[in-house]
Amino acid sequence: MTTDELVRHMSAELFVPALDATKKDDVLQELTGAIVEGSAVNDGAVVLEMLRNREALGSTGLEAGVAFPHGRTLAVSRLTILFARSAKGVDFDSEDGGKTHLFFVLLAPPQDHGNLYLQALGRIAELVRQGEVRGQLMEVEDFDTLVKVLKQEAA
Amino acid sequence: MAELSTNQAQLLVALQDLEEMIQEAEDPESRKKLEAMGFPLENVDKLRDAQDELEERIKPQMLARYRRIADRSGKAIVPVVGNVCTGCFTNVPSIFTSKVNAEKVISCETCGRMLYWP
Repeated sequence: MTTDELVRHMSAELFVPALDATKKDDVLQELTGAIVEGSAVNDGAVVLEMLRNREALGSTGLEAGVAFPHGRTLAVSRLTILFARSAKGVDFDSEDGGKTHLFFVLLAPPQDHGNLYLQALGRIAELVRQGEVRGQLMEVEDFDTLVKVLKQEAA
Repeated sequence: MAELSTNQAQLLVALQDLEEMIQEAEDPESRKKLEAMGFPLENVDKLRDAQDELEERIKPQMLARYRRIADRSGKAIVPVVGNVCTGCFTNVPSIFTSKVNAEKVISCETCGRMLYWP
């Protein structure tokens, strides 16, 4: 998946620059609430249950302060990606034990046979592996800049 | 944020999502991809526990109906998109979408799958 294709699944309504929650489950609830508020997804309870189960399987908090809560749920009809940030950081059971600051939530319908969400996950993981990109993501203040950073067009 | 209610349709959707997750975690190809990206998938047993807990909240006759349809049709529950059952692509009568039916588990009259309005 190219970055152009990736950003088509993102939107300004699903851009959360300042998370309030400081505990893992509270973060999952806040992220779910933001998805319900900013997209056509209505059944937050089902989304939250899926995200909690996914974390039980193994934390989606990887190293370098980035987490990717993700999974398939009948509650969404197309690939939906939310970006969120916590300046303070959250204990998200990350791989390196450090605080998590950047969150990419990826929700896909079960009928996503092309495994679009795994492709999107792979693309974002590849982008944020670069320290410079992570640094810029910590600073972005609007959705357009987020897109520029992901497309690596930021000044 | 709302938690799962006692609504049987919602519990069945959560169960199907969970079963999909277990299947993906056990599928060698998906597992390989996710692990290569750095995601640990070590606690499938916890998902099995969650599955047991969810099943306990679902009425036995409803669970039996879910299993029967899943055995026959793959997915027991399918979303309705634009008044169309995405299991068999036939129209779902609009009477089914009324609030009167909000607590009921509705089946498609054509394919028999349970319907979910996402």
